[in-house]
Parts: sequence; C-alpha cells; structure tokens
Amino acid sequence: MKTNSMCAVLGNISRFEGLWPLTENRPLDTLPFDCKYRLLDFPLSSIANANIHSILMVFNEGETRSVFDHIGGGKEWNLDSVQNSYFVYFYQDFLKQKAQGLPFFASMIEYLQKAESEYTVFLGSNHLCNVDLKKVLKQHLKQNNKMTVVYKKMPKGKVSLDASLIKLNDSAEALSVDRLDEQVHETEFVNLCMDMYIVQTDWLIKQLEAGQKKEDSPSIYTFLQQKIKEETTTAYEYTGYLSDIYNVKSYYQANMDMLDPKNFKDLLYSGQKIYTKLKNEVPTFYSQDSKVKNSQCATGCIIEGEIENCLVSRRAVIRKGTVIKHSIIMANAKIKEDVQIEYAILDKNITIEAGIKIIGTKDQPVIIQKNQVVTADIIGGEMA
Amino acid sequence: MSTEMLAMILAGGQGTRLGKLTKEIAKPAVPFGGRYRIIDFTLSNCVNSGIKHVGVVTQYQPLALNNHIGNGASWGLDGIDAGVTILHPYSSTDGEKWFEGTAHAIYQNISYIDQMDPQYVLILSGDHIYKMNYEAMLEEHIANGASLTVGVIEVPLKEASRFGIMNTDEHDQIIEFDEKPEEPKSNLASMGIYIFNWDSLRSVLMGSSSDEDHLLDFGKHVIPSYLEAGEKVYAYRFNGYWKDVGTIDSLWEASMEFIQLDNELSMRDKSWRMFSKNMISPPHFLTETASVAHSLIVDGCYVAGNIENSILSTNVEVKSGSTVKNSVIMPGAKIGRNVWIENAIIGENAIIGDDAVIYKENEIKVVGYSEVIGGKQDENQ
Repeated sequence: MKTNSMCAVLGNISRFEGLWPLTENRPLDTLPFDCKYRLLDFPLSSIANANIHSILMVFNEGETRSVFDHIGGGKEWNLDSVQNSYFVYFYQDFLKQKAQGLPFFASMIEYLQKAESEYTVFLGSNHLCNVDLKKVLKQHLKQNNKMTVVYKKMPKGKVSLDASLIKLNDSAEALSVDRLDEQVHETEFVNLCMDMYIVQTDWLIKQLEAGQKKEDSPSIYTFLQQKIKEETTTAYEYTGYLSDIYNVKSYYQANMDMLDPKNFKDLLYSGQKIYTKLKNEVPTFYSQDSKVKNSQCATGCIIEGEIENCLVSRRAVIRKGTVIKHSIIMANAKIKEDVQIEYAILDKNITIEAGIKIIGTKDQPVIIQKNQVVTADIIGGEMA
Repeated sequence: MSTEMLAMILAGGQGTRLGKLTKEIAKPAVPFGGRYRIIDFTLSNCVNSGIKHVGVVTQYQPLALNNHIGNGASWGLDGIDAGVTILHPYSSTDGEKWFEGTAHAIYQNISYIDQMDPQYVLILSGDHIYKMNYEAMLEEHIANGASLTVGVIEVPLKEASRFGIMNTDEHDQIIEFDEKPEEPKSNLASMGIYIFNWDSLRSVLMGSSSDEDHLLDFGKHVIPSYLEAGEKVYAYRFNGYWKDVGTIDSLWEASMEFIQLDNELSMRDKSWRMFSKNMISPPHFLTETASVAHSLIVDGCYVAGNIENSILSTNVEVKSGSTVKNSVIMPGAKIGRNVWIENAIIGENAIIGDDAVIYKENEIKVVGYSEVIGGKQDENQ
C-alpha cells in the first residue's frame, strides 16, 4: 500500500446535551475514558495504526482548549513525524460561509486536494471502538464502490434515540439511512451507522463542489449519509467492541463495560494499540489496608481505602476508611478518610472531604463537576 | 559547537554479581521499580540538572539498553540542541576501541567528546538509584576553582573498606585517596561521579596513551595521578538516598525500600521527576479474586492473585490462587495459577507455570529473563 493512500477527516460536531455537565468545558472528544484515555485517542490511534499521514480535524469553536492540551505536539500518535501533518478547522466557519452564500466546502476541498490521497477516511469520537482501517480499505478496494460505510450490529437498547441506522441489501451494500424505529424491541439488533467512511477522494471532491452550491448540509456527516441514498455504498461490518456514547448513562456504561475482561480485551488488546498522552507517573501504591475488587487503576495513585467495580484515573488519592463502589474517578481526585461513594462520576481535580456520602443510582450516577470541593453529602443527585 | 558540561554515562559494565539478571542485558538496563530501568535515574538526573548532551558508553550486551534509550525522546533529549548518543566500541585504523576501565572508556571516546567541545565533563555510572543535582556540583566545582571534583557520600565506617575513600581537609579538598583501604581514615566514599575540566583530563589521557602504563581507571589511576601532580581535587558531598544495586541482595533490598510511600527518594516529588520509556499499556486490572497489600502496580498488569509487599512491573499477569510476597516481578512475566513466589526476583518475560513454588529460606531466588518454570503450562495460553 502506498503510504499516502489514505488521508483522514476526524471530527465530532454534535453537541450531546445528555452528556452535560461532563461536556460543559470540553467536547465529547476529550471525555476521559477507562482511567487513562480520552475518547479522541481511539480514532486517532486507528489513524496512526493505518499509517495515515494527513489529518483534518473539525471541531466546534471554543471547544479546542482541552483538545490541544491533550494532543500537544502529537508525538504519541506519531503526528510529529516528518511525513505527517494535521490541520484544524472550525465547523462554525462552514456555517458562516453557508450563511453568506459562499462555497462552504471550499476549505475542505482544498485540504483534500493538497493531501493527494486516493481515499479519504471519515471518523469521529462518539462511537467508541478500535477499527482496523486497513481492513476497511481492503473491503473498499474489493467492492470498488465510491463509498464504504462502517456499521455495527447493536441491540436497539444500546444506541441513541437519534442514531442513524443503515439498511442493507443481500450483497452487503448500504441502501439507505434511517432513524430508529420506535416499534423495534429494545433487544432486537439494528445496524448502527458508525459515521465512519472510506471514500474515493476524486469523486468526493466533485460531490462537495456540487453540494455546496445546493441546499446541502454543511455537516459532512449529514452530507455523507445523504450520499448513501444516492450512490451504491459498500457496507463493512465491524465486529469488535463498540459503545455509542451520547448521554451520561451510555458514557458510564461504556466505562463499566471495561470491567468485563471480554470487552476490555476486545477494545484494548485487539492487536491494534491505543495511544494516549504519556504522563510518566510513578507506580500506583496500594497500602497494607487497601481492598480492591474488580477495578482498574492508572498509575500515580495512592490507594488506602476500599474500591469495588471502579475505574480510577491517574494521581487519585483514596484515603483510609473510604469505600467506593461502581464509580468513575477521574484524574487528580483527592478523596479523604471515611468517605462513602456509590454510582458516581467524579470529574478531574475534585476533593471530597472526610466522612462525606455520595450515593447515586445505576441509571443516574451522581456527577461531581471538575475542580469541586465536596463538603456535604449528595444522595441521589440531591444535596442532603 | 560548544557545550558547557557534557555527561558521559558509563554503562558498559557486565555486572556479574547480578547473576542471571545481567546474563543477557547490561546492568544499567536491568528493570527497577515497576516501570523504570536502573539507568533512568542517572538519565533523569542529567535532564533535571539542565544537562542537554549525554553520551552513554556501552560495551557489554547493549541491545536492551539501545532499545530503551533510543533517540532520548523519553527524557526530552531529542529536542533542539540536545541529544543522547550511544557510544559503542568500534574498529578503526588505530585498532579496536574496546575498553578496559572507566578512564579507558573515556579515552576511547575522545573524538566524540572533542566533537561536543565541552568545558566540563561529568562522568557518571549508570547503575545507581538516586536523585542528584549535578548542576549544584558543577557550581561548587567552579567556585572551588577545582580541576577535578569527586561526588562523595558518607558511609558507615565499618563498610568504608568496600569503597574508594577520600581524606579531605577542612575545605573538602581531597588530600589523599585510598582505594578500598583496610583501615579507612574517613567515611567519605566515592560515588563514581566526577567533574573534570575537559582540557586537562584530555591532556592527561592523551599523555598516558604513549606510555606502557595506561590510565585505565579513574579510581585506581586517574585520581591518584591528579593528587600526585598537585591538581586541585575537591569532594562534593551528597546527602540523599543513594543505592548501589550491584548485587541480587542490594537490588532486592532497594526494591523493597522503593515500595515504601515515605521512601527517601520521594518519587512523587514533581520537581525532580523520573522519566522512562513508556510501554503503552492499558490501565492495570485487579479482578474479583485479587487482593493487594503494600505493593506497587503499574500499567498493563492483570492480577487475579494475592500480592503482598511486592512490585509488579508493566504487563505482568498473576492468575488466581497465586501469591506473590516480598518479591519483584519484572515486565511481561506471566504467573500461572496457585503459584507461591516469596523473596524472589522474577526476570522479564519469565513464565511461571501452575503450582510452581519459588521460595528458599534465607535466600533471594532469581528467575532469569524468559525463563520457564514449572512443566504444566496453562492450556489457555
């Protein structure tokens, strides 16, 4: 394979209200996941693992601070090597250009022309997965259609209410994109459109040039879904782990999924490594009295208390007498003595004072926002 | 190009006293503390001291060391006007550049040092566990107008005869040097850390090469010759934690001390961080059947057994029913079911089969790198 055969467009411009307040100060892309990752690490790693050298990232205006804090020079994903380059555009610029009646895909077309790759990959962060893009390309080349869309068979109950589903014909081609049918039972399987595509770049440029003159959507994802209906599209079935992340519950569940060794190995030991920002933390220390069951932990922590079914991020300190169950603890947490926590998501840099109780439920975990100092009990989301 | 101080880390020693652990890799590359290798302490000290150019002199089994150091990116030594160079012996028209002692190793690499054109050369060994600011040592070296400054540490007098002992005047100028004296006159031991003015060291080393009598070793030959010539040689006192991990017992002991949260090394002090090559592994997983007490665990571990007072390094697996006690498990080792490991060091990528017992009273048991213990292998592997 020619090294430059694929370039990538990475973006996630939907704002999922259901994730608030976790996404109050960050895009979905930089939501922490499984102790040491951010959701963005997954598409970025897929890109790195497929030897893609050119990336265009599309973000919402005002949401990039945490992104660049995380990516830095891009060394961890090989973005800093001599062959590589990445660009950042803002979705709002497309909207403004459209409002002014300008050709709103002009900058995207310019990027695609400069990248000079035969194929363009589109992917985002809201479908948590570990896809081998080389395999998708292989399928794409075999079928030789203009587009290939990646989908995953999921139980209806595990996808967002406004998820896009694809309809297939007998020869593994996508015919159309539909919304979720309310009649379908929760446990029945649907074909979730992962908004992940491989497209012939030449053809795409022509479509974009034509599209920007019409009333087409400036959202490239809506644009591509529309193209599925117009053009014969190869459907590639992804069979690895996937979570559709669109609200707090699905985010919480995706994290908890990692405590099932099968899911954990599927996503993180699939043969394609997931890269994330390096931190050089010291080993995690477990004290003589610590009790840990079915939990994961990153480095740099001090664990003196009891944890069960928890995901503990870097540099968390959990003091003696504290019992934490079914919770997500993000980086830098300071949880003092004799605290009791169940079903909670503790965002970064929080402090929980000694003796505090924080109790949520499986369907409604309590969220403690970033940088908070908790000095009163919180039961079922209500301050006691 | 000129460099103020160039660090030369001597990492070529065989470290025979570490037995199996240095059979295939150089001593500075031996894993330590869960996610480090011994040389990380010296390399990180260099970077934290503001030293930007480091030469690592290798000779014995350099593969793991080369692979670990790479281009120095893990220590930030790959930036603008910074770099780490691995110096391995080579053949030239002058003959083969293998070396026979610490000073000889520097002599064989004069062309590299000349190319860096330093004012001062800092000589370090890559096999000690400590945190030290070499910049402060250089400042004192300059303030004293010294031609050589030797890093020293106070050792118990009864152990002093194992070291090179410095006898100093009230200003810490060295007046006498005894290599492993039977009756030590002081307890100031050489740490094998030297700052030389490069011009003078260069001419001393070059001068010696024409003689029959080579200046092979810093302790045995160079320091005495400096003292004899009346050069200003000073001692620089170091007070922190310093551990030579040259034997199985001392490596094990240093590891057990490393577990302590209040260890003098203060590993959690962000102002003097220890850097290492990152292995890119998922968080560690402690299953339903795991129990962990007073231990250190790092990324990539999968633990279903009991861990007590031990260090699990990157990507270690301990299956259910197994106990690891007072031990160090090096990266990638896999431990089967119902295994008992106590007072042991398990080498990298070793495989310990189900029901094995690794324990011997009053002895630190060592399992070598990739060694396979126990006949019955896990059928799931």
